[in-house]
Amino acid sequence: MPLRIFTLLCAIYFILIGAVFAGDFDADFDADFDDTFSDADPASEILIADPLEPFNRGVFWINDKLYFYVLKPVAKGYRLVIPRPARVSVGNFFSNLASPVRAANSLLQWNFRGFGTEVYRFVINTTFGIGGLFDPAKSVAGVNKSSEDFGQTLGYYHIGPGFYLVLPIVGPSSLRDAAGTFVDSYGDPLRYADLSTKEYLAIKLLDAVNRLSLDKDTYEGIVADSLDPYLFIRSAYAQLREAQIGDSTYDMNMFEAPVFDNQLLDPIDWFGL
Amino acid sequence: MKKIILSGLLALLFATSSFALPQPQIRVKQMVDSVLDVLKRTDISDAEKQVLVSGRMQSYLDMKSISRRTLGPYWDGATEEQRERFALLLVQILEGTYLHRMDDYGGGATDYLKQRVKGHKAIVDTLVHSEGLEIPVQYKMVYEDGDWQIFDLVLEGISLVKNYRASYGEIIRRKGLDELLTMMDDKIVEMNKPR
Repeated sequence: MPLRIFTLLCAIYFILIGAVFAGDFDADFDADFDDTFSDADPASEILIADPLEPFNRGVFWINDKLYFYVLKPVAKGYRLVIPRPARVSVGNFFSNLASPVRAANSLLQWNFRGFGTEVYRFVINTTFGIGGLFDPAKSVAGVNKSSEDFGQTLGYYHIGPGFYLVLPIVGPSSLRDAAGTFVDSYGDPLRYADLSTKEYLAIKLLDAVNRLSLDKDTYEGIVADSLDPYLFIRSAYAQLREAQIGDSTYDMNMFEAPVFDNQLLDPIDWFGL
Repeated sequence: MKKIILSGLLALLFATSSFALPQPQIRVKQMVDSVLDVLKRTDISDAEKQVLVSGRMQSYLDMKSISRRTLGPYWDGATEEQRERFALLLVQILEGTYLHRMDDYGGGATDYLKQRVKGHKAIVDTLVHSEGLEIPVQYKMVYEDGDWQIFDLVLEGISLVKNYRASYGEIIRRKGLDELLTMMDDKIVEMNKPR
């Protein structure tokens, strides 16, 4: 008799568990599948408001010319002179400097995993990675960086993008994200280094040119493939930010990293976070 | 006798369960592999690649659904002729864009992370590796006419169909559907030129 009750309880338990997981799966699936399948009304077609379109298109045009006639040629020259591994290291260095900002924003969103990931990456890459020039946290331990900024933090608290903005040199942004970029700039360690304005701008320019030298003509691709690059980038930007604010499906956090395969080695697990 | 009935029932069960259907992930893999096969070839020009890929991709795409979703509210107002022409042009733009993106990603190795199936809908998540970068590419599919068909591609969280829908909708609103079709025509000519 007790065995039978036990079996029954087990059955109920599994059914309940099943129901819980099935419910989660359904909701997640529907959310991921979403509206491309439904017949949404025209009003919801607009992914982001753009009341300043004429102004934005002007800045877009200037950025386009800057890109093709100034930044790209400079980046091409730079690419010829500096070998790829060195450029990757420069990129790693700047990315590592931005770790504190990503960590802080993770924390502001109560994302302890993201916070742990960024702190872990910062510590490992600054020490073993020689001041951030290398990325052993990823190449050895398989811990990928997260992408968090203050614009996303604001989005997490349900603050919408406001309206679309194209910023000079920076490119696509929104009222919210431009404010976020401004706030994040206070978390840039270089700001607190003893640099003159000229030196600071030179370093920022190096960061931009270096990044461009590693880029595979993304912008050229968009210009070549879309009917109106301005509209394409605008909706892509709106979608990208929305995706970043939601939970990332592809978040390869530290739990999946090989180094933490051993449960005993997972510090986050000790505290049950 | 009992055994026979039982095995018969089992066979029936398996026949009707989703195990018997071609898996969406396998379909995606087939398409990706066949596109990469073309991309890797060095003996043909970009334009020829485009033609080859076009033939291979079309059978995996649910073009009717894609074009209807892309036109959205403007679908109803379009004539049958406009719809057909739009579908024909859109598939070429979609294939060209996909080809260029995959080319940019270095024809990189693709990881098939997971597939989720719910009824006749499926989502396949993949990760394309390209020189240290990992680009998430998601395929949204429907089971139609006896096969899994792709009806949206999501690159790094950006749905191509949604993007087309938003930008094409804007162009139609300002200039009309015929003008959009002309613009698409011109774009395809431009895309087919060697890069």
